[in-house]
Amino acid sequence: MLDLHVGLLGAGVMAQTHLEAWITLGARVSVYSADGRHTHLAAAHSAQGVEAAPSREHLLEHCTLIDICTPTRTHKELILAAVGAGRHVVCEKPLAMNPEDAQEATDAAARAGVHLFPAHVVRYFPEYEALHRAVASGAVGEPAILHFTRTTAYPDWSSWFQDPSQSGGILTDQMIHDFDYACSLVGEPVRVYAQVREHDGDPRIASGTAVLTHANGAISYFHGLWGQPGTTFRTTFRVAGSDGVLHHDSHRTTAFRVLAQHDADAGAPIPQTWLSENPYASELREFATTIATGRPSRVTARDGVTAVRVATAARESARTGRAIDLTAEEATR
Amino acid sequence: MKVGLLSFAHTHALSYATLLRDMEGVELLTTDPDAPLHDAAPAWPRGQELARELKVDYADTYDEVFAWRPDAVIIASENSRHRGLTELAAQHGVDVLCEKPLATTVADAEAMIEACRRAGTRLAIAHPVRFSPAYAAARAAVRAGHLGKILSVRGANYGQLTDDARAWFADPVLAGGGALMDHTVHIADLLDDLLGNARATEVYAQSNTLLRPGSVTETAGLVTVAYDNDTHVTIDCSWSQPRHHPQWGDVELQIVGEKATVEFTAFAQSVSGYDERNRQATVHPWGTDLDERLLRAFLFGPGEDGIEVAVGEAGLRTLRIVMAGYASTCSGQPSTVA
Repeated sequence: MLDLHVGLLGAGVMAQTHLEAWITLGARVSVYSADGRHTHLAAAHSAQGVEAAPSREHLLEHCTLIDICTPTRTHKELILAAVGAGRHVVCEKPLAMNPEDAQEATDAAARAGVHLFPAHVVRYFPEYEALHRAVASGAVGEPAILHFTRTTAYPDWSSWFQDPSQSGGILTDQMIHDFDYACSLVGEPVRVYAQVREHDGDPRIASGTAVLTHANGAISYFHGLWGQPGTTFRTTFRVAGSDGVLHHDSHRTTAFRVLAQHDADAGAPIPQTWLSENPYASELREFATTIATGRPSRVTARDGVTAVRVATAARESARTGRAIDLTAEEATR
Repeated sequence: MKVGLLSFAHTHALSYATLLRDMEGVELLTTDPDAPLHDAAPAWPRGQELARELKVDYADTYDEVFAWRPDAVIIASENSRHRGLTELAAQHGVDVLCEKPLATTVADAEAMIEACRRAGTRLAIAHPVRFSPAYAAARAAVRAGHLGKILSVRGANYGQLTDDARAWFADPVLAGGGALMDHTVHIADLLDDLLGNARATEVYAQSNTLLRPGSVTETAGLVTVAYDNDTHVTIDCSWSQPRHHPQWGDVELQIVGEKATVEFTAFAQSVSGYDERNRQATVHPWGTDLDERLLRAFLFGPGEDGIEVAVGEAGLRTLRIVMAGYASTCSGQPSTVA
């Protein structure tokens, strides 16, 4: 059981996901959302002691940690308010809409002496943890070329995802997961080139590609897909180095599979559950441990800024058709 | 909680020793007095040397372990020695987690159950695949009625023959048989849990030694089991995983119901690759440690999914399926489960 009072901001899909993880960890949670939907979320989990807070200010006043699961455009202001109240912060990725805002939020947290954790949850998925351990132990020697693919259904639960000025489109909203993970493996990139192709009539179907050149010479390649209706979740990676290769395909490692179900749409599909520890719980537990003990977490605010910087440069590249030099961008800042 | 580990004969003893050594709230004492001297090839130490390597406490005899007054013991001896050690534990009033199969004869299995019943102690069997989250998902779907009536189940437990590390696995007396004895029970145990009160009625089995020509015991086998609820089950119980394959083997189950078909692979969760320096394929597992969940369920009770450790009576039922299988390989016809 965690001795932690979490103030959850937001009541959408990610808020629900974080809420369930916090409950698993035994934290006390109060929730607030500007659109009023938090009362439903709290009521659905009242048996686990979840409370609806009367206001944002109430959360900031009473909670030890603020967990921000709101639309991206609101992240910076909410982080500034929370760290201004002296609260630690978990913020759903991306940390902010642009690197300047992400840096400003990070600096504010540092000045306030509180932790700011960007929720790059892919680092906590056990297959990605296994890759990290293996690469760190020298299983492939020096990583030279890395592929990451991510296929998801479009996040159709909220309309703001459809506005690229609010979500950043697929490069920022979806592919930032793999940008962050690749940087955790082979360090920060110096150059990025990216392309995005959207369905002409339907922005919910989009394909993005990106190539990062890292400071140590490694090249990483990314393919993100918001797929057609019916698309099932799939991630793959392949990391090749001087002494070997490692690869993964979630279609091959899905340990429990429903091959067919008669009348599955009649209201009772066979539930798909985590077949290992819930990675959101692993992530939030590590953040809580860092707050309690000071032991560093694997994801830092600086990583969150880097991820936004890479994703923003990728969008700039996709817009201009030019490769973006990230070292120059850093120097001029 | 004080836990004794009796014998390092089964290779699973290494996993149990390491897990119990690191488990909070557990004190561990190990012993391996029956280790054959001729079996101790330098690559595969036994006894005190292995205990030193594993960094676990060691006693020279079983009696010393019982004199230490353990709360429970884990028996990882050769199959034919399960009975003697279980009876010894029952005499001392100590709970037992016994490596599978429960015994090599029905008479031994019955005697073990009776000894523990009289002593009022628990007799549990080490079937770790019950604790796979993927199995739990399949089981939950079955119990919720999503599959309807189960028509058939296709199971496979293929693995490596580990007689390089432990010669007794290929010894018909100490092991009680070959692949049929070693692996059938894993799948049969899942079905014992999954099918509720259904009971096996008839078994047809075929086996061969082609994977290891000249082997005294069978190295491959295919077992077909009919249950009294009309479910038909097939089990590949072979030692068919190549010795140098990076993964020991796997356990797979496909369950065909009237309303849905589901399947699981117990050890699918790994990153795979190739190590060029050593010129070998590699696997880096990232799934749940099933042995750890098994030990925790035995020592501290079931986890969230409510799955319990297999008990002696279930072990006797699965052993009867194996015995009917052997009878069938002799007769060439289906054999009734006694």
